Amino acid sequence: MKEIVALAVSVLAVGVLSGRAAIDDMSLLRYLYFLPVIVAALRFGVVAGAVTAGAAVLLQAPAIFAAIERGGVTPAASEHVVTCIALLLAGTLVGRLASYAQAQRRRWRLLLAVQRALAEDAPLEIALGRLRACLAMRLDVDDVALVVRGEDRLTIAGGFRLADDSLAAEVLTSGRPRYVPDVGGGARVRRAFAAPLLVGGEPTGVLAVEREGEISAAEQAALSTLAVHCGLALENARLVSQQRRFAEELAERIASATATKSAFVATASHELRTPLTALLGFSELLAQRRFDAAEVRRMAELMQHETERLVRIVDDFLDLSRIERGLEPRLSRAAVKVAPAVAAAVEVFRRTGSHRLVVECDETLPEVDADADALDRILKNLVGNAMKYSPAGTDVHVAARATDHVIEFSVRDAGRGIPTEALPHVFEPYYRAPGVGSARGAGLGLAVVKSLIDAHGGSVHLDSAPGEGTRVTFVLPAVP
Amino acid sequence: MWSLERPATAPRAGILENTPVTLVAALGLGWTVVAGLTALGWVTRDVLRTAAITAAHGSLLAIALNWAAADRGARLGREAVPVTIALLGAGAVAALVDPRGVVLLLAVPAWLGILVVRGSLTGLGLAPHVTWRPVLAGAAVGALLGAHLLVSASQTLGYALREGATAVPLLWAYDLGANVISAECFFRGALFNRLQRRWSIAAATTVATTAALLRYVVDPLLPKQVEVMAGALFYLTVLSAVDCWLLWWSGSLVPGLAASWIFFLAYRTLAIG
Repeated sequence: MKEIVALAVSVLAVGVLSGRAAIDDMSLLRYLYFLPVIVAALRFGVVAGAVTAGAAVLLQAPAIFAAIERGGVTPAASEHVVTCIALLLAGTLVGRLASYAQAQRRRWRLLLAVQRALAEDAPLEIALGRLRACLAMRLDVDDVALVVRGEDRLTIAGGFRLADDSLAAEVLTSGRPRYVPDVGGGARVRRAFAAPLLVGGEPTGVLAVEREGEISAAEQAALSTLAVHCGLALENARLVSQQRRFAEELAERIASATATKSAFVATASHELRTPLTALLGFSELLAQRRFDAAEVRRMAELMQHETERLVRIVDDFLDLSRIERGLEPRLSRAAVKVAPAVAAAVEVFRRTGSHRLVVECDETLPEVDADADALDRILKNLVGNAMKYSPAGTDVHVAARATDHVIEFSVRDAGRGIPTEALPHVFEPYYRAPGVGSARGAGLGLAVVKSLIDAHGGSVHLDSAPGEGTRVTFVLPAVP
Repeated sequence: MWSLERPATAPRAGILENTPVTLVAALGLGWTVVAGLTALGWVTRDVLRTAAITAAHGSLLAIALNWAAADRGARLGREAVPVTIALLGAGAVAALVDPRGVVLLLAVPAWLGILVVRGSLTGLGLAPHVTWRPVLAGAAVGALLGAHLLVSASQTLGYALREGATAVPLLWAYDLGANVISAECFFRGALFNRLQRRWSIAAATTVATTAALLRYVVDPLLPKQVEVMAGALFYLTVLSAVDCWLLWWSGSLVPGLAASWIFFLAYRTLAIG
């Protein structure tokens, strides 16, 4: 206000000074009008420049017209007229440039403020609130709101709800800015403008402003650009936050994987050591002492059994290694008779005598299209697991039947079962369900079983409940 | 916030919607009949002038009142427009009988004041409550322009001040009762207000100002000397633009009324026309 008064006083002062000199005197004092005009234009912009210039012209006009009336269009009067035109041009043009420069500076500062508002990592609601506060403070508007579309809901800052047929909803749907010249109701005209927050050309939100006054075309363009910046800044903030979360999750997974690997190394060492110890013990006994033929045979069978176990463990390791490298197990598929394959796999375990193995397999079943070794390992893994996790003396059922161009195998035990929360993980490598107790194993068996079945184009399914035993069912394609 | 919570698809009335065409046509027809009678020499030009005042200002006020009621949903009684035109006509006829009768035209702003108190004219920017700062600003602008007119007209064109004790107050009464009030109500309160809710302020100001200038250019009461016409166009352009800005800035028509009336006070002081 003080500046405006000072400008008015200076214009009047120049008017008084130059008014004392007659037009015909060619007084140069009239050029002093440029001073307040330029200052007003630079300080307050185009309107102030034009108004101050207009005031200066109005002050001079009576004297100029009087001089023209008196003596016609003399060189002195012409110069005064030209001076008036120059004043109007100077006030308008300088003011326009100053307004433009001020607008650009405001926009630049606003963008910086937007970046600062979103610099800190925060949940979307808080980041949006900060951004809105920043915009409300720096945009010369009466109301401002931001709407951002999340994965499953809208986040709104500056309002409570988004009506389906509202301006912001329309812009969010169309992705195009929209201007409403009057939102109605008030004594003063209230304009509204909404621009989409764009990320990769797609509308992810809306910036809506309302003002009692003009929202010029240039300002609408600037707001549209600002909305794009806000969209990008929000997206960047979201990505940074997401990346940080990923990094934290990754670190947790690495730690978990390291712990799992360590546990695996310990378990695997133990698994390998057990049959090796048996082999070492029996081989030492055979080397140092004499036994009768029946005892030697018994020891040889035990050593063969432990060696087979070692082979299975090493095969599992090799298969797992291929799985982890993204390779499928090597298969050599052929038509395999189901009943003999099942009987052979079960026979190995039958010799232990710890469980009653019940085989339900029709001799007339169609042949299965499978790798004979792989099928044998699948069955041995499942039967071995069934025996391992069920009390001695209980039944283990192994069955096979033909259904719809596939052969369905099942291995069922009457063991302790698997906790429900562990079921989704039982086919993961190294995973061992809680409560397995002292049962031996490296957590590889079911992972290898699944990979072998998958490689055949088959499927595997596990049903279990604590105390009710476990049933593993898998299907392999029958020979057509 | 409206942008989020209210429907953005509300239908908008056309620019000339709710114009009382029949009434305006009737007023125009009346004036045409009187003009015909004047041409035939059956009635005097003073009668024609009376008819012109009633028809022109009555039409402007009738349109303004109807638009305001339609645009802002204010309750405008059925009697509002007829009473306004009747009061205008009565004042004009009174002035025909005796020049001092023009004072009766002041009944028009008084009646409009009643409508304002009732809240019927908020659509024109005439609300019961007035903020005085914009009114003072309007008065200051009117005074500045008026003072400039007095100085420049007396210095450049040599116009003297109007003589006579009653002439100037009677003209002031005419301005206050008909000229200023009808122009402000229609060109700013109705036309500019309607346009600024559709277009930019600059476009609305340009159209409203051009329309207001046309109204004065065709006004038979305005002297036809070139310098007077040029001066009138200049001052009325500035005055109209300022009045539009005042209405936009304050949301009230009162500052513009103050500016215009004070400017016309100065204008009537000069012995022009």
